[in-house]
Amino acid sequence: MRRTGGSLRRAAGLALIAAGAWLGAPLAVAQGPSAGGEPSRVVGPPRGSALAGDALSARAEDVAGLLRCPVCQGLSVADSPATMAVNMKAQVKDMLAQGYDEEQILAYFEHSYGEFVRLEPPLRGVNWLVWLGPLLALAAGGALVAWTLRSRRRVGGQDPLAPLPGPGTLPDDPELARHLRRVRELAYGWAHGRPPGSSS
Amino acid sequence: MSEGGASKGKPRPFNRRVLLAGLVVVAPLVAVLVMNLGRNPHLIASPLVGRAAPDFVLRPLDGGEPVTLASLRGRPVVLNFWATWCVPCFEEHAVLVSAARATGDRAHFIGVVYQDDEEQVRAFLARQGSAYPSLLDPGSRTAIAFGIFGVPETFFIDGEGRIAAKHVGPLDAPSLEAKLRLSGLAP
Repeated sequence: MRRTGGSLRRAAGLALIAAGAWLGAPLAVAQGPSAGGEPSRVVGPPRGSALAGDALSARAEDVAGLLRCPVCQGLSVADSPATMAVNMKAQVKDMLAQGYDEEQILAYFEHSYGEFVRLEPPLRGVNWLVWLGPLLALAAGGALVAWTLRSRRRVGGQDPLAPLPGPGTLPDDPELARHLRRVRELAYGWAHGRPPGSSS
Repeated sequence: MSEGGASKGKPRPFNRRVLLAGLVVVAPLVAVLVMNLGRNPHLIASPLVGRAAPDFVLRPLDGGEPVTLASLRGRPVVLNFWATWCVPCFEEHAVLVSAARATGDRAHFIGVVYQDDEEQVRAFLARQGSAYPSLLDPGSRTAIAFGIFGVPETFFIDGEGRIAAKHVGPLDAPSLEAKLRLSGLAP
């Protein structure tokens, strides 16, 4: 009883922590530093090398594929024909041409739109749950199954793979044994419910 | 919650474990659901509220010097992103115009034209009347910097250039008044 109460409390605590982490994450993001509209004022001076020509177009397509179109339903900026997406892609291209790297560009859009604008949740904070949660759940489930099977075998004393008792055996309970003998007498015609050939 | 249905006879050990595992999975989901029941899932809180507004340099529709946010410091700014093709913008236009007239020079009202044709905007303002400048935003650079999802969206910027509040959708007189008070402009 005490053990159960403790694990229930632990479970409730874990649930609260999980819920708190989910709900608290947006607040933590909202408290970051402030900056103006010029990309350099938000993400600092360009960190990469300036691109041009075909390399620029290809890279712009890649980075735009990582941004969510804010006026669409689940489409990336690269895939959407909406004016807003076209304008965002043009800005991505401009920033690449100025030498901003991918992370800076994503961070610039995130500054105004929030983490929502990234199609892939970045590996940080509570987002680790999204990436590692399924693996953890699988491992925990596997451990639970293994543990349950093992403890059943140990506690029950009945190995499911052990050979079955033979037709002549009787249960320990004398009342039940009496009925079983009567059934065997009626069903098989065994005198006193004893298999033919047995001495006792 | 302490003993559940295990009071009768000898409890089977597995049930309690299933209950616990179920609680760990379900309780956070239920908590999140309950706490967000009253929220509109289409509204995504702007990370900009409480921060310095992105600066901009935009050309006014009727010509003249480009307007920068920095030049508007000292007085609250009501920054309204709108378009002539947007029906709710049409509805809130009269509210904004009359509020701008009533506020006088205690606050700046500024419209930012969102993905629209210059001539259409001019015709719209000639027909519906205007009381404050509308700025053109080619390439939506300013809209992107403000994280615009659609129009109308209105930002309330205080005298220090900090975004005090954001309103998504058409403004009516009471909500405009409440947001103005938030940005340090008690009417």
